[in-house]
Formats: sequence, C-alpha cells, structure tokens
Amino acid sequence: MLIDRLNGALGKEAVKVQPEDLLAYAFDAYTDGPPPTAVVLPSTAAEVSAIVKIARDEGEPIVPRGAGTGLCGGAVPVEGGIVVSFARMNRILELDTARRRARVQPGVVNLDLSKHAAPAGLFYAPDPSSQKVSTIGGNVATNAGGPHCLSYGATVNHVLALEFVDHRGEIVTTRLDQPGYDLTAVLVGSEGTLGIVTAATVALMRLPEAVRVWLATFDSVEAASDAVSAIIAAGIVPTALEIMDAVAARAVEAAFHAGYPTDCGAVLLVEHAGFDDDMAHAESEIARIAREHGATTWRSARTQAERDALWAGRKGAAGAMGRVAPNYYLQDVCVRRSTLPQALHAVGEIAREYDLTVANVFHAGDGNLHPMLCYDKRDPKQVQAVIESGNEILRTAVALGGTVSGEHGIGFEKREAMTAVYSPDDLATMARVREVLDPLRTFNPEKIFPSGARCPETKAPA
Amino acid sequence: MTAERIADLLRACNEERHAVVVTGGNTLATMGLPPLRSDVVLSTLGLGAIVEDAAADLTIAAQSGVTLQDLAAVLSHHGTFVPFDAPRAADATVGGTLAAGWLGPRRHLYGRPRDFVIGSVAVLADGTIARAGGMVVKNVSGYDMSRLYVGSFGTLAVLVQVNLKTIAQPPHARAFTMRLPEGTRARAVAQWQQLPIAPAAAWWVDGFKGAIDGEDGAEGRMLALLEGSEPVLERATRDLRSAMGRAGVPETVVIDAGARASFERTIDAYIAPVGERSITYRLACFPDDVLERALTVRDLAHRFELRTDVLVDAMNGDAILRVSDLDAHALGAKIEMFDDALHDDEPSAIVIAGNHPKRPLLRVWGALPEGFETMRALKARFDPNGILNPGRFLPGL
Repeated sequence: MLIDRLNGALGKEAVKVQPEDLLAYAFDAYTDGPPPTAVVLPSTAAEVSAIVKIARDEGEPIVPRGAGTGLCGGAVPVEGGIVVSFARMNRILELDTARRRARVQPGVVNLDLSKHAAPAGLFYAPDPSSQKVSTIGGNVATNAGGPHCLSYGATVNHVLALEFVDHRGEIVTTRLDQPGYDLTAVLVGSEGTLGIVTAATVALMRLPEAVRVWLATFDSVEAASDAVSAIIAAGIVPTALEIMDAVAARAVEAAFHAGYPTDCGAVLLVEHAGFDDDMAHAESEIARIAREHGATTWRSARTQAERDALWAGRKGAAGAMGRVAPNYYLQDVCVRRSTLPQALHAVGEIAREYDLTVANVFHAGDGNLHPMLCYDKRDPKQVQAVIESGNEILRTAVALGGTVSGEHGIGFEKREAMTAVYSPDDLATMARVREVLDPLRTFNPEKIFPSGARCPETKAPA
Repeated sequence: MTAERIADLLRACNEERHAVVVTGGNTLATMGLPPLRSDVVLSTLGLGAIVEDAAADLTIAAQSGVTLQDLAAVLSHHGTFVPFDAPRAADATVGGTLAAGWLGPRRHLYGRPRDFVIGSVAVLADGTIARAGGMVVKNVSGYDMSRLYVGSFGTLAVLVQVNLKTIAQPPHARAFTMRLPEGTRARAVAQWQQLPIAPAAAWWVDGFKGAIDGEDGAEGRMLALLEGSEPVLERATRDLRSAMGRAGVPETVVIDAGARASFERTIDAYIAPVGERSITYRLACFPDDVLERALTVRDLAHRFELRTDVLVDAMNGDAILRVSDLDAHALGAKIEMFDDALHDDEPSAIVIAGNHPKRPLLRVWGALPEGFETMRALKARFDPNGILNPGRFLPGL
C-alpha cells in the first residue's frame, strides 16, 4: 500500500525498495541502523509534500538525508520508515550576485555553491570539513560549522529564508527580518525533526582582499590550547584557529604531504582574512602571543598553493586517521574558550586511562574539541573503552561549562546526553516546538530528544 | 528579582488569566500595538545584573533589564562590544531590544543581534523556567530556543537572562557627512555597496534636521561611519572621497572626535517622534532598490500633504519614513488613508514609532508574514491562555 502510493506519486524510478538499495541508506558516518522500508528521491517540493502526506496517512516515519556525512546517526533510520534523499534536488535555483544571496535546493553540495559564487567575488561562508560532499540541506539540519565559523558564524547566521514541507504536507516559507517568530532559526539545527527543507536562501559574503595562513608549533596540545585561549582573551578573532596534535599531524602529513611539521607536540594553524593593510600587524600580534605561550616555531604559508595544501590536510584529517588505527570515533564537544587547556588535558588523561590513542584536530578558537579515539572494532574491549571514554569526554565538557555538541548535532548518538546539559523543563520547552511542528512524530523520530522511560540501547560506533 | 519570582508571578497570572504586559526601558513602546489588556505590568528593570562577565571567553551573561549603555560600558573595559545599534541606549534594555527584534545599521558587517545570542533563561507563561544554549560560542545541542524568543515581542516567554558572544571593538571610527547637490543622489547612494572597504554604516537622509548631523543639499545628505585600523580608515577615506567625487559630491566633512556619538544620534532618530504628531514606518528593501522605494513613499506622503523625514540605510536596504503634520489633529485626519495607500505600495511596511492616538488603527505590522499559521500554533502551545503581551504583536500572537 505504502509503496504503491509512493510509486503513484513519484514514479517507480524514484522509489527504491530492493533490499540491496535499502542497505545503502541505513548508515551515516557514525553508525548504521535497520534498513528503511523505502527510499524515495523526490525532484520537487510538491513531491516532498506528497511523500509527507502519504507517510502521515500510513503512519510511517520520514528520515531526510543529504550526503550521509553526519557523525551522530541523524540520517540513520531507527525504526524503518521512508528515507528521503535529496540527490535529485541539487540545483542552484538562483544566484543573485548583486544582492549577495543564493537560493538553492537542499541537495546542492556546499563547496559547489562557493565555486559558483567565486567568479562574482563571493563565497558561502560555512565550510564543514565535509564540504566537498555534504549538502546545504544537511548543513541546515545540523547547523553545520567548520573552521571559518570562528569569525563568520555557523550555518544559522547565513540562512535568510527556508522553504519547508510541514507535517500536513503544506509548503511553508520562513523568512528572516520580517515580523513574527524566527522559524528559520528553529528549523536550522533541528536535524530534520520539524519539517523537510526543500529550498534555502543563503547569504553570500565577499571574498576577502587578503588571506594569510600561519603555522606555529608547540611542545604539547595543552600549550597550543593555552596560546589560543590567550589570543581570544586578547580580543583577537582571526578567521580560523585550528589545532592538530602530533598524532594527527603525522597522519595528515603522511597522507597529504601538506607541509605539516611532524616533530612537535602540536600545530596551530591560524588564518586571518581582511585587508592588506592589517595583515602585518595581525601577524605580529598573534605571533607574539603564540611565542609568549610556548610557540617553538612560527612560519607563514607563502603561496596560495601552500595555503590550499595546509587546508586540504586539515579538512582531510579525519580521513587520514586510517593510518593510525582501523577505526576511529570522532567526538564533538564545545567548551568555554578559556578552559581549552584543561579540557585538552582531561581528554589526554581519559585516553590514557582507557589505553586508547587519541588524535586531536579541532576548531580551537571556538573551544570546539574533536578528539578522535582510535581503536579496532574487531576487539570488543576496545569498542567498550571507546564508548566509555567518549561518554567521559562528554561529562568533562559539561563539567567545564561546555556542551555535548558544538557542530555535529545530537542525532541518535547523543540524545541521552541531552539530560546532562538540560533540565527536564528545558527539554520539555524544546519538546513544545516539536509537538507543534511535528505532532505525529513523522519527522526523524528517536533523534535529539532522550528516549525517556525506554531503556536506551547503547550502540557501538561503526 | 529572580527567575523564580517571575515564575511564581506568571504561574499565578496564568491561573487567573491575568494579562501580563512585559516592559523594559520602554524605548520601543510605540513599536507594534498597545496591549489589548493589562492586568499586571512586569518590568524587567529590576533584572539589572551582569550575571557573568567572561571576558577571556569573549562572552557575557546579562540579565534582561541591563541597559545597552551599561552593557557597553562593561564590555568597553575589555575592548569588546555587541552591535545592538538600538536607539536610546541609556534606557533600552538588552531583553527589550532582543524581544523587539531590533535590526541596526551595522548588521551587514557584524551580524544581527540574534547572532550574538548564545544562550538564554526564559520564563514561560505557565511559570516554567527554561534555559537554552549556554556560554559556549558554538552549540547544536537541541533547538535554538534563544533565537525563537528574539523578535517574539515577549509573547512566547519572558526573557530573564541572555548570554552573548562579544567581538573586539574596532580601534578607530570616523564619521562623514556630505550634502548632495542636484543630480547626485542616485549615483551617491549606489556607490556605497561597491566600496572595497565596506563602511560600518551609510545613510542617505532627507530631513531629520537637528536630530542628525549635517545639512541637506538639494537632494538630501549622506552620513557614513567607517570603523577599523588607522591604515584601513585612511585608505577607506580616500576610496570614499573619490567615489563621492565620481558621483558629483564635491565636499565631505570628516568627524573624527565624536564619530561614534554622531552615529548613535542617527540611530536615535529612527524612533524619535515629532511630539504626538508623527508616525514612523520602516520598509525592508534591498540596497539596490531602497532609494527608489523610499522616494516613492515620500512622494506618496507629499500627495497627502504630510511632512516627511526619510532615512535610507544604503548597506542593509532599510528605509525609515517619518510622516508628520502641524498638529495631532491634522495628522489624525489623514493618517489612516495614507496608511492604506502606503500598504498598497509596500505591503510589509511596519510602524516602528509614533505616539499618535490613531496608531492602533494602522496596519502597524504590515501584511501577515509567511509561516503565520505555524507561529499561531506555537503561541497556542507556549501561552495557551494568551496572557503574555496580548494584542501587542501580530494578531493572535
């Protein structure tokens, strides 16, 4: 019945029901789940609307899916349902360079938008490391960040309007800067639990006149973190402040030959964008603070090629971890920027306690930690150690006044951790929004909110 | 005052269905509609504490009744600021400015006030105390409730505390004024968006005599604010002068001492009334069409024989139109007809100021926004008895 109706609404070639097809949509970059009942590939908002109406009638949940690069099970089905893939809604609908904005379908790949805008001297600022494959729709769902959101802000700062399909199947538009409630802000980061975004209008920024990238080395990741805390405390916010520890730097260098030093405890990557006139002063200030806080070397990336290589290495860091261990688990927490050294120290202690290798590659300027716990998933003991140490890192972040996700989201993985940050009243207040926008629990059920009375099934990262 | 006491008060009012009117510094009291009912007035002015000044994190937590001026004073010790850019900073509160969804002139450069909100404590109509976000600058744990309260006019919850991220104050500021001779207006306004170093603010102004620096030329005047390091300001000044020269503007007056004071005076003018005989509208346009649309509505007002003052934000595309008459009676005789005619041209024009008795009869919120049904449903879930600021915002919210 369900499949017949979907076939009728979208045509058979847009509905996948073969087991081998379904399996391909049962995972993301974190985990896998049971296969969905069906996978649909709509081409228009009207088709998405039809899907929502059918799902509602048939009592089937909907799991929206971008590129599947999510790191917390957000796009993974938990109880079957219909996976909505936006692979066919991947057009840039309008590029308005005069007004510095673009209207895009959710399946547009993040980096493609910046590439299209570049000839007009513009770019789309949010740049998650997955930007070569991850989509604007997925970025909107998780309020994706990236290295450059230190000065440009995360996705929510750049979304001007959204078109979404609500629980009734109606196509609704939300727009910033008009009287009324800021539905745009609520939809961004809601991980597909409030509606299905079918188009986004996003702001484009002017490409900066000057960009400099500098590398500093430190004896330890704590020392590098201390320098970052000091740079921020001095009121200096460059466009990116990224740290890579020795484990990560060696893996990245081996994989990409990007120019990262491999004989130090940690590398600090600093990018500053702005006007030519300010660059010399910015460099001397940042370098001075870095040296005062233990930088052993400081060098400048001289050419565009050198800068690109460093960034390619940074953004490919997770992929390079294959050189360290068969598997890694990427944690995402955010702490107050002044507590970075404490947080990094604690992560090191936790890894030692559980006898795990940890690699740290993270958005230090935002206080956004990404410890990668290396392990071999064939060894159940190591799997257990990763789960427990991951939880301990969450607790540490919360104890330091931080939070359980800086940019990856909650998804399925971290929903039980929400109670560590929020009171039942806080969560019940968020749940009111859910009740209004998704009264039948059609959209991505079992995500974000803790399972409550039900016993959570702890799942090993895949 | 504490969140708990406000929770007790709201719980009691909710049970008794008493209407609660939430006020801050009352600077934007004539934005939107007057409340339909008012059984209890809840002033946030007792919530005047800085909860945590986390300067090393570039964050600060303030109670909602802290004034913008007091907040700025605390932050200036650390060389930081939050660009609220709202009028009457000595009276305006952090909570009120956010609740009203104020949009200032520097947002194109630094971001909207909402984008500085990283956490909040709010009390819902039934007395639930709800925290959201935190003191970290990046956070995707759950829905962004704090931004939902921004711009909600206190109709979903009462903001008790807001956590903000801060940014470094630019080291130098320089203001400019220039009179626009005949035939230069359109060309001058079109220049600002194209400058390689974007000014922090750039306005075209017609009128507002005494309220804003500078004197009108044949086609009004322009004011601008540049912010940045000294070398950047020097280069931007040269760029700006040559751009204005190309547009036919011969002379530019530089204000170095008091540049920011001059900037703040201009912001104050956005909502400054002419006694009780003016109404001020805001039109949301684009930088490339704002001048034309502002001139069209100015001409429209002149057809009604209304006096006008116009301010155009060339960077964001806001147009501010103040219409006034000889006295309140004279304005009252035509304002409703003008309001109708204005909304025929500009359906989304809103009223942001003006204490005229006929204000409640105007379409102060313009056309209903997209997504309005969803907003109504949210209101019903957050404040089912409609006790928070009834009538103040869009119909039914």
